[in-house]
Amino acid sequence: MQGYRRADQTPPPAQRITDLVVMRHEHIYEVDPDLMTEHVEQQHIPAWDMLRMVDSRLEWLYMLQAHFSDERVSGEELLAEIEAEEASHP
Amino acid sequence: MATVTALDDRVLEGLAEIVGHQYVLTSKTARINRARVPSMFAVHRWEEHVPQVVVLPASAHEVSEIVKLANRERIPVVPRAGGTGLVDGAVPLNRGILVDIKRMDHVGEVDLAERAITVGPGVNMFKLNEMLRPYGVMYPDNPASYTCALVGGRIGTNGWSLLGARFGHVRNLVISFEIVLPTGEIIRVGEGGGIKTRSSSSGYRLKELFMGTQGTLGIVTEATLELVKRPEAEFSAFWLQRSYDTAWKTGGELMRSGYATIAGVMLFDERKVDFVRRDDEAYVPQPDWCEAVCAFALYGNRAEVRPAAKEMMRIAKASGGEYVGDEIAQLDWSARHDRYATPLHGRTPNGQVAPMSWHCEDAGIPYPKVPEIRKRWHAIVDDLVARHPIFDDWGMFSYTNGPYKPWGDMLCEIDVGIWEEHLDDETWGAWVDCKREIARASIEVGGTISAAHGSSRAGEVDLVPLELGGAYDVMKTIKRALDPNNIMNPGKYGLDSAYEDG
Amino acid sequence: MTADDKPADPSVGRVLDDWRNAAYNCFSSGHKFCREVCPVLQVTHDETHSPTAFHANLVAMDKGLLTIEDVAADYVNCTQCGACELRCPNTIFAGDFYRFRTRTVDLVKAMRALAVENDIHQPEWQRWNLQTDELKAEPVLEGVSQERVADWAAELGLPIGGETILFCDCEAAFYRTSQPKAVAKLLLAAGVEFGLMREQWCCGGPAAEMGYVDQARRFAEHNIADWRAVGAKRILVLDPHDYITFTEDYPKYFGDDYDFEIVLVIELIAELIRDGRLTLTVPVERRATYHDPCRLNKRKGIHREPREIMRAIPGLTFEDVDHVTQWGYCSGAGAGLGIEKPELTAAISARRVEQAATLDIDLLVSACVWSERPLSEQAAPHAIEVCDLMELVAHAAGLQPLAGLNVAAAGD
Repeated sequence: MQGYRRADQTPPPAQRITDLVVMRHEHIYEVDPDLMTEHVEQQHIPAWDMLRMVDSRLEWLYMLQAHFSDERVSGEELLAEIEAEEASHP
Repeated sequence: MATVTALDDRVLEGLAEIVGHQYVLTSKTARINRARVPSMFAVHRWEEHVPQVVVLPASAHEVSEIVKLANRERIPVVPRAGGTGLVDGAVPLNRGILVDIKRMDHVGEVDLAERAITVGPGVNMFKLNEMLRPYGVMYPDNPASYTCALVGGRIGTNGWSLLGARFGHVRNLVISFEIVLPTGEIIRVGEGGGIKTRSSSSGYRLKELFMGTQGTLGIVTEATLELVKRPEAEFSAFWLQRSYDTAWKTGGELMRSGYATIAGVMLFDERKVDFVRRDDEAYVPQPDWCEAVCAFALYGNRAEVRPAAKEMMRIAKASGGEYVGDEIAQLDWSARHDRYATPLHGRTPNGQVAPMSWHCEDAGIPYPKVPEIRKRWHAIVDDLVARHPIFDDWGMFSYTNGPYKPWGDMLCEIDVGIWEEHLDDETWGAWVDCKREIARASIEVGGTISAAHGSSRAGEVDLVPLELGGAYDVMKTIKRALDPNNIMNPGKYGLDSAYEDG
Repeated sequence: MTADDKPADPSVGRVLDDWRNAAYNCFSSGHKFCREVCPVLQVTHDETHSPTAFHANLVAMDKGLLTIEDVAADYVNCTQCGACELRCPNTIFAGDFYRFRTRTVDLVKAMRALAVENDIHQPEWQRWNLQTDELKAEPVLEGVSQERVADWAAELGLPIGGETILFCDCEAAFYRTSQPKAVAKLLLAAGVEFGLMREQWCCGGPAAEMGYVDQARRFAEHNIADWRAVGAKRILVLDPHDYITFTEDYPKYFGDDYDFEIVLVIELIAELIRDGRLTLTVPVERRATYHDPCRLNKRKGIHREPREIMRAIPGLTFEDVDHVTQWGYCSGAGAGLGIEKPELTAAISARRVEQAATLDIDLLVSACVWSERPLSEQAAPHAIEVCDLMELVAHAAGLQPLAGLNVAAAGD
């Protein structure tokens, strides 16, 4: 197995997503670092910690979902049904 | 009003005899850290709000004895529960004795026959519901501070719940409660005499009188709460819209659709969409054409939620918007159970990130007037930001407001970032003026200054007599009758004026 | 209310400069989502030492309302479990977006260090660190000495040095010796080659947690020098606290020169079981739940592998409580709390055991040796026993019986 190595903790280079947003790790959006130069300086956050925050967020939200109800009804499914009905009864 | 005297050893000793020495806190940190809540706060005037002593009672009897002592000595008493309020109810305006009720967190028996549970005011709803889950029931009071607010504070603010259209708000969900009056008597208010009776015509409706007092009429020491069947199914949908007008009209149609499982209908305006684009907590790229969002959620039994959701999706689809997809809709909705704006949302005029406090206006506005209030509020805040760039307009949300009735009016929230670190007398004064103008606009369109948090914040509080008219004079009469020495949270709601004439 | 007029030590200004933005970032939220997951607040209910207050104190110091003398003792009330900073919306909803998260643990460490720098000491921490400095290991029981640091391995014939080194925590090396023995036997059984250090000192993490930063650094330098001297490239770590020290403190001390690979034994053992290099055949006919050690679950996001291991143990009925719920659980043993305020550690442990007692279980399995002593003490009145995950695995692998349990496991 691969353990912790300091050298692995530097984030990948930033890709621009919009004028205000960049992406380094896949699907993890970050504010354009140029916007954090005057008042609040960004922290050195190692790769493991970035991934931990994202995982924790999803785990927390899934837990909240399960907290409030047993299941979620799919809007995509309902829309597909509506569209099928509309197609058969135009 | 009560005079603010230095607390001498005799008073401290008296308090210690009531709660025990270890629960009388006099250290600077104990007091300084109980001067503030997340509501707008003049940091540069922090010192003025530091209580003289903090006590942590464990029972209604102890609370009663503290209040009696305070009456004898004419010392202000300020109750504090979670300290998560967006209004300054728990901020000691005139210092005095701060009564922190967090130790009162007992949880009684789960009564599945009468569907109720009795708890201490220091209980948090999320934790309570974790405990209740195996029983198949829940207490569905769901503010943004769901995981940290406490039952006592919810009653003190007459709080609003995200799921109120489905399950009701605090006034509907608290069946009865025990309160220590400003003179120390312990009474129970509810529906008649039965602590779990849901409706009564016996006597005055005192339960609602003692809710939302911001601590000016007593300290809640116990509450009996409604238990509803835990929902089998949840449905949430977010629809991107091309204009605010379309979102508003679609929202109105959904609100009036008559489905009983509706938990809420929600609108984001164009400034809120911009805000989401720049930095929402779970950032999602949105198409350029999107200028507003209309969202809705349903809870209940599977057999009811799915068919209702389908009909509501039909209405939304006909509006010409675009559904965001299940993953985003479901995750974004779940984040709303647990969401306060974070400080780094703040931007200076050149776009730089700055740590700003979240200020949340929460007026109740008639549905037809929502587009008008949106324009008026943004103009008021734009003017403030132009003069003082330590403020930032974070856009507007609207939610269905009525308990069990998702029609008629909406809770409208304009969010304003405040860089509190840089507040001084001038900027604080400008902010208070701005607040007053926002409140005035809400009253002028026939709404209420606050649907959720209370209207005792600086600026807006000046207009409470305007909003309530003769009813405000009755408030003063009641205050003076129940609190003859003005010791309960003096200074709040302008009620010091109740003591001026006599 | 204003602080005394005496000029503050320059160290105070330095800490304020380092932490001003972070302090305001918390202050201007004021949400307090931290309160209901903080293990200390759950037993004291005293907002004076909430994570929110820990930040607000700096704002008040910046405004001249408080001094380090006023606040130092409040910062004792923390196990550095990390729940508060993880549950903070500034971390969990916005920390990755801004590359700026709430760092209460680092703040508590900084404030404790500031107190020590200003000669404000907590008596038990001062004694503990003086003795650690003398003994080169924490005084976890009478008779700790550098000569005896590897006694636990006496019968195992482990070599000194090599590319892979097993670092043994102080509590494990001197108090719960059955735990490192179990780890070593498992590694040997799976054919993992490893050695011990020539002269292992305490990792220095506890000193850093309690504010004795110079001492922490000296200990780190010694250990690094020893690793280099024996040619180590890979360090196996059997305790979550050491894992934090080696993956967070040491990289800060040594920067780019820190080129060691740090491997958490639990993760390695999970892999060895998964790959079939360890086979578990001795059934453990018990009903067990798993205690997520704070430093793995909340500080590092490590919660899958221990559960994978629990599920691989034959005979064991595993009543799991999910790791998110366990963000609010703690043994209370961390960051020196049990040294300075043992009554708080006991209360937090008691609460944790009560949570376990609501389940239909008779075994509480932890993966942190520091948690096991306080949890065992509180478990005594319940029909629950506490054991270490690695010891449970060693038992299931037929390598050593479960030590110290009153109820014999099937297969003994």
